[in-house]
Amino acid sequence: MKAYLKVRCNKAFLSTIRDFVKSRLRDLQVTGPVSHQIVLAVDEACANCMIHQHQCDNTSTIEIAIYREQETLYTEIKDTGKAFPLDEYQPKQVTDIIEQRGKGGLGINLIHRIMDEIKVEEKRDYFVYRLGKHIDPNITPSPSH
Amino acid sequence: MEIKENFHSTYITLMPIGELDANSSVILDERIAQLLETGTVNIHIDGSGISYINSPGLGVVISYVDELAAQGGKFVFSDLSDNVADVFSILGLDRLDHLIIVNDPTEVEAHFSTS
Repeated sequence: MKAYLKVRCNKAFLSTIRDFVKSRLRDLQVTGPVSHQIVLAVDEACANCMIHQHQCDNTSTIEIAIYREQETLYTEIKDTGKAFPLDEYQPKQVTDIIEQRGKGGLGINLIHRIMDEIKVEEKRDYFVYRLGKHIDPNITPSPSH
Repeated sequence: MEIKENFHSTYITLMPIGELDANSSVILDERIAQLLETGTVNIHIDGSGISYINSPGLGVVISYVDELAAQGGKFVFSDLSDNVADVFSILGLDRLDHLIIVNDPTEVEAHFSTS
């Protein structure tokens, strides 16, 4: 079963997204460092949408969904407009990040270093960032989820 | 976000309290810029109050690493939670010469005395 959250493109709602992801991961028995990493990656992806796609326009919205398929935990971020090619980005070395004084691409770098699968699905009126993280197969979600 | 401060003979300790994200990291950015202007280049970040850090917070730190090093200074981080330390590790920031992470806070002063 997917859990959804729809929020306005206001950076003040990033903490709401983090709380939602953390709570949903807990329901899916995903806790500890892996949970924190997924929360961070989703936070970065949503911030990227809010800031670069919508210029923090409070009238725009994005949707976040979380679900599990076998041994992979997926997060989908549904947004309108033209997608940033998140899946084509090549992570930089830390020395390059410092040379650029930490500006640009740091969040995307984190997403790539944390998530195992990154896909961008473009539809006619919207696009979806699909981020997958392989999780321990011994973790069994509770029956209600 | 609040930043507690403590001046020592060879360095300053900054202790941010709260989340270091897009909304709050500007406060740390401005404070470090002020310190650089006054010649304070040895900066200890006591991370015991940092509950979360993401790219804007990391970007502030990264943006000053080279500048501190060029002036003979450095960052020393201590008391990071496991989750915050993990983020530094993911990016490889724990392998830099001028950004040192110590597990034992009593080691902080020794790192600045060798600057």
